[in-house]
This record gives sequence, C-alpha cells and structure tokens, in this order.
Amino acid sequence: MSKLISTKKILFMVLAIGLTIYGCDTFLNAPARGSLSEDVLSNQKGVETLLNGAYGALDGQAIVSDRSGATAPSNWVYGSIAGGDAHKGESIGNTAGYVLIGNMQANPSISYLNAKWKALYEGVSRTNAVLKLLPKVNDMDDNTKSEVAAEARFLRGHYYFELKKMFNMVPWIDENTKDLNQPNDTDIWPKIEEDFKFAIDNLPATQSDKGRVNKWAAEAYLAKTYVFQKKWQPAKDLYDEIIMNGVTTQGVPYGLFDNFWDNFNPAKEDGSPEAVFSIEMVANDGTGTTANANLGIRVAFPYNGPFSCCGYYQPTQDLVNSYRTDSNGLPMPDNYDSTPVNNDMQVADDAQFDPYSGSLDPRLDWTVGRRGVPYLDWGPYPGTAWAREPNNFGPYGPKKNVYWHAQQDQYADLNSWAPGTAINYNVIRFADVLLMAAETEAQLGNLEAARNYVNRVRNRSADTTSWVRNDLNKAYAVDVVDNEQDMLNSNAQPGDWVVRTDRNSTFYLLKGDPGDINNWNEYEEPNYVMNTYPGPWSDKNTALKRIYFERKLELAMEGHRFFDLVRWGIAEETLNSFYDYEGPFLNISTRDGHFTPNQDEYYPIPQNQIDLSVVDGKPKLKQNPGYN
Amino acid sequence: MGIMNKSTQNKKVKCFFWLKRMFPVTLFIMIFVGVSYGQNSFTVSGTVTEQSTSNPLPGVNILVVGTTNGTATNTDGQYQVNANSPNDSLRFSYIGYQEKIVPINGRHNINVTLSPSTFSGQEVVVVGYSSQERQNISGSVDIVDVDNLTTGTSGDVSKQLQGRASGVNVISSGQPGEDPMVRIRGINTFGNNSPLYIVDGVPTQSINNLNPDDVESMQVLKDAAAASIYGSRASNGVIIITTKNGGNEGVKVEYKGYASYDVPKGGNVWNILSPQEMADLKWQAIRNSGGNPAPDPQYGSGSEPVLPDYILPAGAMEGDIDPSSYYVVPEYSDAQLVNTFHQIVRANKSGTNWYDQIFSPALSMNHELAVSGGGENGSFRVSFSHLDRQGTLDRTYNRRSSIRANTQFNVNDNIRIGENMTFTVQQSPQVNALSEGSPIGMAYRSQPIIPVYDIKGNFAGSAGPQLGQARNPVAMLYRRRNNSAKNSRLFGNAFAEVDFLDNFTFKTNLGGELSSGTNHSFTYPEYENAENNTVNSFNANSSYGYNWIVTNTLDYKEMLGKVHSVEILLGTEAYQNRGQVVGGSTNDFFSFNPYYTNLSTGSGNKTNYSYIYDQRLLSLFGRVDYSYDNKYIFSATLRRDGSSKFENYKWGMFPAGSFAWRISQENFMKNVKWISDLRIRVGYGIMGNQLNVDPNNPYTLFAGNPASSYYPRTGSNNSVQLGFEQSRIGNPDAKWEKNKSGNIGIDATLFQDKLNITAEYYWKDIQDLLYNPELIGTAGTASQPYINVGNMKNKGVDATISTNGTLGGAWQYNASVNFTSYNNKIARIANNIEYFNQDSRRFSGSYIIRNEVGHAVSSYYGYKIDGFFNSQSEIDNLNASSPNGLYQNDARVGVYRYADINGDGQITPDDRTFLGNPNPDFTYGINFGLNFKNFDFSTFIYGSQGNDIWNQVKWWTDFYADFAGAKSKAALYDSWTPNNHDASLPIQSTGGGFSVSTVPNSYFVEDGSYLRVKNVILGFTLPNNVLSKVGISRLRLYAQVSNLFTITGYSGLDPEIGGTSTDFGIDEGSYASSRQFLFGINLSL
Repeated sequence: MSKLISTKKILFMVLAIGLTIYGCDTFLNAPARGSLSEDVLSNQKGVETLLNGAYGALDGQAIVSDRSGATAPSNWVYGSIAGGDAHKGESIGNTAGYVLIGNMQANPSISYLNAKWKALYEGVSRTNAVLKLLPKVNDMDDNTKSEVAAEARFLRGHYYFELKKMFNMVPWIDENTKDLNQPNDTDIWPKIEEDFKFAIDNLPATQSDKGRVNKWAAEAYLAKTYVFQKKWQPAKDLYDEIIMNGVTTQGVPYGLFDNFWDNFNPAKEDGSPEAVFSIEMVANDGTGTTANANLGIRVAFPYNGPFSCCGYYQPTQDLVNSYRTDSNGLPMPDNYDSTPVNNDMQVADDAQFDPYSGSLDPRLDWTVGRRGVPYLDWGPYPGTAWAREPNNFGPYGPKKNVYWHAQQDQYADLNSWAPGTAINYNVIRFADVLLMAAETEAQLGNLEAARNYVNRVRNRSADTTSWVRNDLNKAYAVDVVDNEQDMLNSNAQPGDWVVRTDRNSTFYLLKGDPGDINNWNEYEEPNYVMNTYPGPWSDKNTALKRIYFERKLELAMEGHRFFDLVRWGIAEETLNSFYDYEGPFLNISTRDGHFTPNQDEYYPIPQNQIDLSVVDGKPKLKQNPGYN
Repeated sequence: MGIMNKSTQNKKVKCFFWLKRMFPVTLFIMIFVGVSYGQNSFTVSGTVTEQSTSNPLPGVNILVVGTTNGTATNTDGQYQVNANSPNDSLRFSYIGYQEKIVPINGRHNINVTLSPSTFSGQEVVVVGYSSQERQNISGSVDIVDVDNLTTGTSGDVSKQLQGRASGVNVISSGQPGEDPMVRIRGINTFGNNSPLYIVDGVPTQSINNLNPDDVESMQVLKDAAAASIYGSRASNGVIIITTKNGGNEGVKVEYKGYASYDVPKGGNVWNILSPQEMADLKWQAIRNSGGNPAPDPQYGSGSEPVLPDYILPAGAMEGDIDPSSYYVVPEYSDAQLVNTFHQIVRANKSGTNWYDQIFSPALSMNHELAVSGGGENGSFRVSFSHLDRQGTLDRTYNRRSSIRANTQFNVNDNIRIGENMTFTVQQSPQVNALSEGSPIGMAYRSQPIIPVYDIKGNFAGSAGPQLGQARNPVAMLYRRRNNSAKNSRLFGNAFAEVDFLDNFTFKTNLGGELSSGTNHSFTYPEYENAENNTVNSFNANSSYGYNWIVTNTLDYKEMLGKVHSVEILLGTEAYQNRGQVVGGSTNDFFSFNPYYTNLSTGSGNKTNYSYIYDQRLLSLFGRVDYSYDNKYIFSATLRRDGSSKFENYKWGMFPAGSFAWRISQENFMKNVKWISDLRIRVGYGIMGNQLNVDPNNPYTLFAGNPASSYYPRTGSNNSVQLGFEQSRIGNPDAKWEKNKSGNIGIDATLFQDKLNITAEYYWKDIQDLLYNPELIGTAGTASQPYINVGNMKNKGVDATISTNGTLGGAWQYNASVNFTSYNNKIARIANNIEYFNQDSRRFSGSYIIRNEVGHAVSSYYGYKIDGFFNSQSEIDNLNASSPNGLYQNDARVGVYRYADINGDGQITPDDRTFLGNPNPDFTYGINFGLNFKNFDFSTFIYGSQGNDIWNQVKWWTDFYADFAGAKSKAALYDSWTPNNHDASLPIQSTGGGFSVSTVPNSYFVEDGSYLRVKNVILGFTLPNNVLSKVGISRLRLYAQVSNLFTITGYSGLDPEIGGTSTDFGIDEGSYASSRQFLFGINLSL
C-alpha cells in the first residue's frame, strides 16, 4: 500500500460519514400528533373544556374496558341487585360476578369492582386536572375561576362519595397530591364535606347550561353526606333551606313531578322540578356509538321482546310483594311477604294467567314489568316469555330504564347491539331529598315533620291520574274494540293484543286462531289502593321503619337500596331474610346468598389495586375487614 | 407537544430535505470517483459440466465476484465472461447445484464441474449490508433453500418458511392472505415479535406482497453477531431477502403456473349432537337440576321431548301454521320494523351441519411470467404474477397481482446502478378467526335444529325462544359479499455502487415504499337472530403511507500479506415512516344497493376520523472482519441508533462480536479425510428494539374523546359538547430495549460433502424491556407510558442435518432435517408486578393467560381438576376438614373437584396453577427428495412437539349451562351421571358455576403436538431432445398434495393456533389448513 492511497482512503471514509450525519439530530424530533399539551389548555376555554371532560366521567362509560354495567353510575348492580331489588337476570353462565355481588359473595378479585374503582378515580383525576390547571390560567377573573373550581370540587365530592359508600376506606388524591400511591388509612368524609361546602359557597343558584350543577345541588349532596354520617342537625338545617328555597339549574323551584313516571321520561327532563342532580344521557348524538346513551344499563331490557338485548336486571319477588297495600292503601313493612303477589313462573306462555287481584301500590307497575300489566306502551307484559332463564332469575322485567315505544326513534339509540337511551340517571331527585329529610326529622324526634314529607311523596302516587291504565295498551293494539265479536274477527297473531273499551281490559292472544275466545287471555287493570299516612306518628322506631320502607318503594331499582340498608344498620337482617324468602323460588340466583356482618357492609378493595400499591414489598392499600 | 418552537421546526425541515437530497449527491460523487478509477477487462471462457454425469449444464449463472458482470452457459454448457482483472473470482451458480467460486488466477480458460447442492462453504450470501462467503460467517445465519419455498402454495413467503429454517417458528392458519406468526429464536418482547425483513436493503414488517418466485435468496440472521448491525430493529431477528435479477445472456422467458383444489375437513368436525339428542340433553340437564323440563316452548309438554315441525313460531306443528301470515322484509331500513315481522321457520330435524354450510372446496390458481436477460452492460428481470387463492371458508380469498422490474446497469467497469421495484395490488377479505363472534364461532354455536333458510328462503336463525343467541354464519358471510379491502404497495430501491482505489466499494441505496389501502363495508340489518343488529350502516376508510430509507456504505476489503484478510464497512442510514388514515361511517340508507351506498348517501349520523403517524430513525454503523489464513475469523460490529420515539435517551449503542475457528484448516486436521470442513463459532452482542413504543410516549397529553370525555352539558337529549381528558402520561426517559444474546455453534461437513451438520446453542437476555405496566387506579386511566422495566430470557438449540447422494445409477436423493427449540422465561415485568393477565373470554373476570415471572409467556392458568365430587358424603368430609367449613364454592355431587394446590384444605384463588403453555418444546422440518432421470419426488414433513392448546370451543359445546348453543356428543355421552363416574365432563345441569365452567380449569387444556405431511410432490421434466425441437429449453410438470395428513391427539379442528405475542394458543374456532391438490407447470423458453 502506498502512502498516497492510504490518505485517500481515510479521506473518503471521513467524508462519507461526515456528510451523512452532519447537523441532523433534529431529524429525530417528531412532535406528538392529534393531542394537546397542557400549555395549550391554560386558558379559560381550555379549562372549561377540561371541566366538561370531568363531567364526561359521570356516566362511567368508555373509561375502563369491562362490562359497562360494572361502572354504571346508577349502581344497578351494587345498589339494587346487591340490595335485593333485583336479580342479575340474563343467563347463569354469563357475568357470574354479578350473581356473587348479589349474594354478598363478592371477592377482591372480581374485575367489576376494579373497574368501578378505576372509573371513579378517573373522575377524581379529571377534576384534579381542572384544579391543577386553574392557577396557570391568566385570562379569567377570580370569580369565574372560583365557579369553575366549585364545579370541579362538586364533581370530585360526588366521585369520592361513590367511592366512600362502595369501599369505605379509600385513599384521598387531590390537585396537590404528588405521589398518587396513597394509603387508605383516613376517613375521607371530612374531605368530601369540604368539597361540597366549597361548592355551596362558590356556585351560582342557576346555570345557563341545564346539565351543570348548582349551589342547591351541592347543598342537597352535603345534606346527604351528613345523613350518611348521621349528623342529623346539620342535615336538618340544610334540608329546611333546600325544601323551602331550592331551585334547579333552570330556576324551577324544587318539587315533585305530577306523575311519578315523568322522572324516567326524557321528554320531561326540561323544566323538571325533581332533578336535583342528574347525569345527562343522550341518544343518537352523532357519534355513531351509544357511549353517551345510558350505556351502563343497556343490557337491562327484557329478552325476546322488541329490545335487541339482553334480559338483565329482573326485579325480585320480594320487591314485588313490597308493593302490596292493606285495605287502607298503606304499605305492610312487617308482613308484606306473607302472601306473594302471584306470578307466571309455573304457567306456560300460552296458558291462561290471572294477575294478582289484591290491593297494590301503583308505583309497582312503574317499577316492574309483570305479566298482564301494560309495559309502558309496549302492550301487556308477557311475563316469563320475556325472561331469559325464569327458573334462575324469575319472571319480572325492569321498567324505569326502558324507553317508550312511541319515543323509540327519538330516545332509543340502536347504534350498538344493545339499546342506549336518553333517560337520565338522577343521582338525587327531590323525592329522595324529601325522604332523607323525613328520616332526619324522625331521627331528631320531629315525627310530624317526617310524616308530612313522606306523605308529600305518597300523595303524588296516590293520585289516580298517575296510575298505569289500560289505555296505555291502545296505541299499539292490533285493534281497539267495544265488543267481543270484533275482537274475535281481528287478524291478531299470537302476542298481539286488543283493547276492549267495553270491559276496560286488554285481551292478549296466547296462541292460534283469534276466532277462538279460549285463545285469549283477559288482563284487567290492577287493583291499586294507595293513601297517605293519616294521623300523627307517635313512635320514632315505627316512623323510621315506615320511612325506610317508603324509600324502598319510591326508589326501587334506582341503585340506592343496598347503601341505604348498610347505613341504617339493617342489612344483615333484611338481606338474610330476603335470601331465605327468595331462594326457594329459584334454581340459582339467591340460593347461596348470605350477608356477613362486619364485612359485607362494604365491597372489598380490588385486589388489583392492592397489588399495584406495593412499595418495598408492602401494599399501601389495606383490605377492608373480612376479606382476604 | 401541541406547538413546536419555530427554530426547531425550521431546522428540522432543512435537515429533512438534506437527507433526501443526499441520494443524488452521493450518486454524483460516486460516478465521478468511479470514472476516475476505472479498470480494464479480462476475458475468461470455458465449459460447465455436471459432476456425476459429465453432461454439459446449460443456463448456469456465472458472475464476476464483487460485480454484476456475468453471463450464463449456453445449451452446450459454454460461457464467456469479462472480468475486471486476472485476480478476480468467478461464481458459478445453478439452481439445485452447489455454487462454486473459482479464482481466475490469470487463466483465460476455466472448466468447472458442479455437483448437486447440499452445502458449500464457498456460497456467497448476503448478510448485513454486504456479502460474505458462507465459510467466513462467524455469526448465526441460516440460509433458506429458496427452491423449497416455492413449492408451498399459500403464495405467502413467510408462511412457507415454516419448517424450512432452524430457529424459526411459524404459526399460520388456512386463511388466505393472513400474516402468520413468525418468531426467530423464541419470544423477545411483550409487544411486537415479528422479525425485521430486509428486502433488497429495504426494511419492512410484512412481506405478504412478495411473490415467492421473485425471491433469489433468503437468509435468517439469528444471533446478535449477525443481526446487530441492524441494531435498532434487530432484536426479533432479521430475514434478508434478495430478489432475482436477470441472467447475463440473451433473453429468457419463464412461465410458472398452477391450479389447486382445496378440500376442507368434512363430517361432524365439532361432534355436535343431532336435534333430538340436543332435546334429550336439555331435558336431562333440567331434570338433573331438579327442575321439570315440560312444558317446553319447543319440545312440547310430554314426558319426553318431541321435536317440533316448526321452531318459529315456537314448537308449532304442521297444521298450526298459516304460511300466509309470514311477513319479513329482509332488507328493511326502519330499525323498528323488525318487531312487526312474523317469520316462519321449519325445524331441521335431521340437523344442520353449520361447518359444511360455510366451508366448501376452493379452486385457486397462480400464474407467473418472467422475462429476464442481460449482457455486459447490465441485466434485467421483469416478472408479472397473479395469484387467486380462494379460501375454503366462503368469501375469503387472497387476490394479488404484482409486477416486478429489477434492473442493473454497468455504467463502467466499476460503477453499477440499478433498481428493484415491485408494485402489488392485493385484495384479501378475512375473518377474525379464533373468536366466538366470527362466522366459524357462530358455526359451532348455532343449534343444529335451525335450518339455514326459513320457509320463504330468507335466513333462519336463533330468533325464537330457547334457540340460543348465535348468528346465522351463512348470513354473516353473505352479508359481507360487497365489502371490499384493497391495498396497493409500491416497494423497492434504487442503488449505485462504485469500486475505487482497488479496495473500496461505496454504495448508496434509496429504498422505501408507498402504500395505500381502501376499505368499505356495509352492515345489513338482521331479522333472523335472537339479538339482531337492526341498523344499516356503512364504513369506509382509506390509508396512505410511505417510508423511505437512505443507506450509504463504504466497504474496504484487502488482503494484507498472504494470510491477513481485512474488511471494514462503515455506513449511515436514515429512515422515516409517515402516513395517514381517514375514515368515516354513516347509516340509515334508503337503498342497500352497493352502487348506491357510500359515505354521502346515508341519511343518518355521519362520523369521521383521521390520524397521522410519523416515526424516524437515524443510524451509524460499522463492521470489521478479520481472518487469519481462513482459520481464525473475527468479526465485530457496532451500531448507533437514534429514534424519534424517545426523548431524553434517543440514542442506543449496539455492539457485537464473534469468532470462528475452522479447525479443519489446522494442520493436524488436514489428514482427517472424512472431515471436509469443521468450524466452531461463538458470538455475543446486543440488539435493540423500539417497535412497541407509541410515538407519543414521551409526552403528557390531553385529548377529547366523544365516547369518554364529551358531555351533554346543555341537557340536550341528542347532542354532546366537547370535553377534554388526559389521554397520556408521558415518559421522556424511555430508552431502547436491549437484547443481549450469545451463540455457540458448530458446523461440520463430512464424508466428502455428503453430510452437513450445523448445531447451535443460544441464550438471550432481553433487558430494559419496554412495558406499560398498569398504573395504580388513583392515577386515572390515561394511557400509561412505556417504561424500561421488563426482562425476558430465552435459550435453545437449533440444528440442521442434511445429506445427499446417489443410490446407484440415476437415482439421486437429498434429505435434510432441521430442529428448532426455545425455552422462554419472563424474568421481570415491572416493579411490584409479578404477572399480567390476558384473555378472559367468557370467564368474566378470570383470565386464561397469565404471563408471570419465572414462566413462559402465554401460560395457561387456572384450577386443576382432580376428579368429581362423587357423593355428598365426600363433600361433607371435605367441608368438615376445611378451615371455614367450606372446601369449594359451588360444590355439589357430579361437578369438578379442584386440586387443593396449596394444601390449606380449601379451594381459593391461591389454588390456581399453571396448566400448560402453547410454546412447543421443539419443532422440526424434514425434507426428502429423490430424483430419477427426469422424475423428481419430494416430501416435506413438519412437526411441533409439546405445545398445549386451550380449547375454548369446548366451553361452548360441552357444558349445557354455557349459553344455549349447539352442544357436543361429549356433553351428552361423556358427562358425569350417578352411574358414570368415569366421565370427562361434570353433570349436565342448568347451573354452571365455579365448579363447572365459569372459571378457567384444566379441562380446556390439550396437548397440541402434531406431525403434518405438508407436501408431497411428484414432478416430471420433459427430455431436452423433445423440447429443443419446439424451442423450449425446459418444461416441468408436477403434481402436489399439501397437508396430506396430520397426526395429532388434539380434538379440535387444527392444532396450529396463533394469537399475539403474549397471548396465543387459544382455539375458539380455527380456520384450519385444508388439504390441497395441485397441478403445476414450469416452462422456460
């Protein structure tokens, strides 16, 4: 090798490499796409949009990939199924975890609990994001900032309230928490109170956007927080003010709808006097999904009927029996189960069935689908024919979450395999406020005030105009006739019905030839007898028992029952006698139910979260008593 | 970041353009330099003959090594070629024969004999950025016999790799066009484990556009020493593919074509009961549960079930039905109309075989036409191919047309420029097999009493009580008929190469691809099922993407003295991958006519979406090879890679080194006649990976998501308002995964090249594995960042043995066996995370797969069955000795008794245990070929040993309580009864539960070992003297049977079950490979 060539060799190598790399480090900077950094949000518009995102977590959906029902804000699993209002329904092989929860056999590994935990903390985290960003915003005055902060803290209070009643001991994370792995060794009630108090102090009484929260909602939530802690006097002070002066975000004074049912009717949401704090749902919102369409309870429609899915959430016989009334039209808290309301479990779909003729509270038939009774405007409920596994879960269907036939194009959202609806979920409705106020007054010994509140609630449903009537069957009847011959001449198919104005009843074609009268089942209007409590209440315990029972009737299937039973301290006796009563009717479902005191009051901390909290070999999160 | 600062942006843009400009600039420099250092030529001629017969060999390729100068022998086996200098070497290659490299050494006449191929140490193979003689490779490189690849007929190169190279595991299915799972030496990461393919110097993740006949050579780089020069993306192994170029003489036209006939499995593949047996099972199960089955809506109210004449209306008999009341509008647009339908469905009492209804024999064909040629100034090869591969599952296929043009020009004696370019158009609609919701899933879920069609010829389904909720699979496939998925891809490279200063070669290569795809699908409303989709909707999307890569290498090669051989390679590389996708959907169409439906004509909600991606890499690399007297071979590589996916640690360094000792070259071995070649190799190095990281990983980000963060603040019932949520938590500190791997190998060529053995042992320790561990719930649900926490280990043995020879006379044979094994273990996942679960299927909340430290990926986890509870007293006794008085939840007579693994006297979640895993102990391929005169015969056998399968199909078919679908013979005849304790299934009852099938248990695990005769081929080449008269140089006809038979104990359809890296081997209805009969023709002019 000559020296000359060696130099050239070296020269070329250096040249080639140098040319390629020179000045190109910035080539590797690829900015994020399709997302925003915090800087871009640090202004009024950004923070308000972030706040709307914090509202967006209220429905619990599209946040955690698990069963939508596990994170439903209505707590239909954790409140109503667990509280004995309903069975899981559907089929036994599916979502077995719901059955375990319904039987108080929840264990820390049930993924649904982890999903609920995560969905709620996502809500917390979104509110914290708002509160963290606020100080960095320069184009807002302090007043507006406080209002935004108040809304965020109201929502945070709500998310923590849910966590508290589900899991009791939970870690507190706020906008100042640096290490998000915090222990659950402190009672967070005081923190929740603080959030609601801040909200009361800084929120306006009305809002231009109906779906936002206001000062009165915050008062009602704080009062509920007091009631859960048995702080009766502060609760009473708030309730007096709320019931006297409270208004909705739209400025409508708090009150009860004329019709019980209007609470579950999207057409009546605007101007509702009863919606204190409701989670807004929409249908056909243009997203092509049902994520904002009350997705959490989409599986809870009767099966085999006009709804595309799924047969979950079947009311219990015990709940149905609760609506029996005595001859005075009053509930029978002590012996409602003495005689069951008869059902069609042992009756073939095409055999004759005579619905219960004893006296009933009319709210039953706005709460439960049962054979022979108008199911909104969908016709007489066919009973077990619409149950997926009646032997396991009974013959009944849910109703408060179901849309009307006449409204289906508007309020049902069929962009998925199960229907979404625009039916809002009322976290707190005014009837609930009145009954909590009644409870508060009774605890303080003001039994007459308590009775008045209860009667105000009962009075609404005692009004005959709000009852389920035979007329409901008219809209989609195959015929409305005033004589038998016209009915026999109709071209009804099995499953069709004819309304008979001459008998104020509905005839349902069970099978075969409509010309044969024996193929028809006549359903008469149920025998509703309901009155307010007369005369003064004298005994505190009796008063409380009546108030508790009134809550069961008024708020059944709305996700409250289990949490009420726990805070009243009667979960053990109530649920265990429920299992004893209900179990023998069914093959599966409640057969194995058992409430264990000092354990089942709260759900277990999800095992997954405990595992994730391990630091140096030790978990920071502590499991609730009784679970391991 | 949402907004970039301006100066960065400007700089970036400049740099970007600069990189692209670099290609022509370097090209110019090279031409300039190359011209100045041009050399004179030296002519060589001679004859090539076949070793054993001494017949002249026509068509042998001859190449001047290190150049593209070359030619081919004529019909008399003669050639003439121009070399650059008397010191060059010539490479003689001919398909089916050992390649030979002969130094010219100043001779003008060189005669050569070639022997049939087995192994040749002098074979030149393409490895990282350059070519090397095989005997000088010290890393682990498996050279795939490309001829064998084309005998498979899936049309997919990567599928045909199965069993063809040691160290490579391939799991594929019978679905045309589906990318198989390809794994090189085990599992390297929790994310993407696909190897890196380098096609003509251009990296890509998928080679499904490649026509197997276009492949000239294929090398698998298995260890770090071989692969780490591809640093950044080499961790999963590298497969280097070179496509064919033209010969050096005249014009040659080749036609290859075949037609094939695929026959699916027949018979009752899932052992489904007849309708009467289904009814019997149902009643038995209800009675077993203490219930009374009568009255039953379908089976009457007698003491035994009676099949109805009609299932809709339920249980109706002839005479009950008034056909005039039938009312169904199959293509309805008002979603609510379905509630007014009155469908009449006759029971299929003899039973519908749903598998037969959706699988049928399929006729496929493939044509390829190639024109190639060349001369002193260059060469070309243009090929056109058309594949029409029909799947046995109706309406699945792979249609692919491609055109390839490879050209090379010798501008000068020392300058070569060229390009390889292919354009492919592909259409391959596929089903998502291995899932309950696919048409295959629906086929085993649909009850046999349901007919395919109702009385008026519309579809029948599960509508009606007690018929389950499966969808009619025939209808599902029919409704996909107008859906379309088309992709086109332009892929290739252009290069320029210059030799200068005697020892230097500079090469610049610009490669890349341009791809676009468009899909549209229409969803029809359904009316026949229990759970109908009632809306009609239309989805469409289209994607556009491109990536480019610029590589510059400078290669210096010199012999220093007589014994020191040195090669130094330096290179740089820049890569960018960009693209975007736009799509939308709408619904509510006035007409479903496919000519009418598009995104504009739907009257319902219109949604749209789009996204853009952009990733970049920048690299510097170098390699030094040194060999002393062809005895001691050292190689060292170093690569430095930068990735845009990382923020604070963009750059990673990937070194590797290897050493080979050719013992046979030592003097003391020279006398050992039976050893032709013997080498020992060791290598160690680090490879990198960043495939699994989201490009946004470094950043904390916010975004709006209509589903999760929008809210109807105004209280509206039909509109939502924008809301933001935190979408990602950033980790600016993520860095490269490091795959540290070592390799020890031995290569031996024995008995005069008759027997070749390669055996290797390897170990890999993959550190800083990028994993996105679940964050604690209190952190919210924003996407968790990838962090470098994991650690995985693999070790195993690969081996290949091959032999060839003659059996006297004209009988020639060759045989080879390859063996692949890996042992995978997860060594670490993340802080405090010992495992992560995957795949719950129908076990709601319990998971089948547990990836746990100390175990192989994708391990099955659950309760181990320890017989049945045969009596109440057995249960009572167990309860009595249990600490809580309860041995097992849900225990009752006749259900599974689980093993008390931890011995605490009760069954708790702690008693779950590992039940197997889908990783095979080893896999093997056996190839055997036999030639007799003009006949050739070959067969290929592939096998996998020790892989377990989770047969989830059994969940649906074997337990009465699990969904009311079709049930199996086992459910009725092999379940526990008071008289049959020796059963495999628990008592059939209406209640499932913990002790039956609601938690994963060992019932579902089966041994999936198998041996499959993948190919048997018989070919006949017409004699030359016949052909030459009609101007044909070669004509071969052949017949082939693929998947002739499979020996396995697995009860499912097919034991080859794929999935994802950390979750595979779960069979929930597979698209099985079918038996294929094929006739083909190869013709050369």
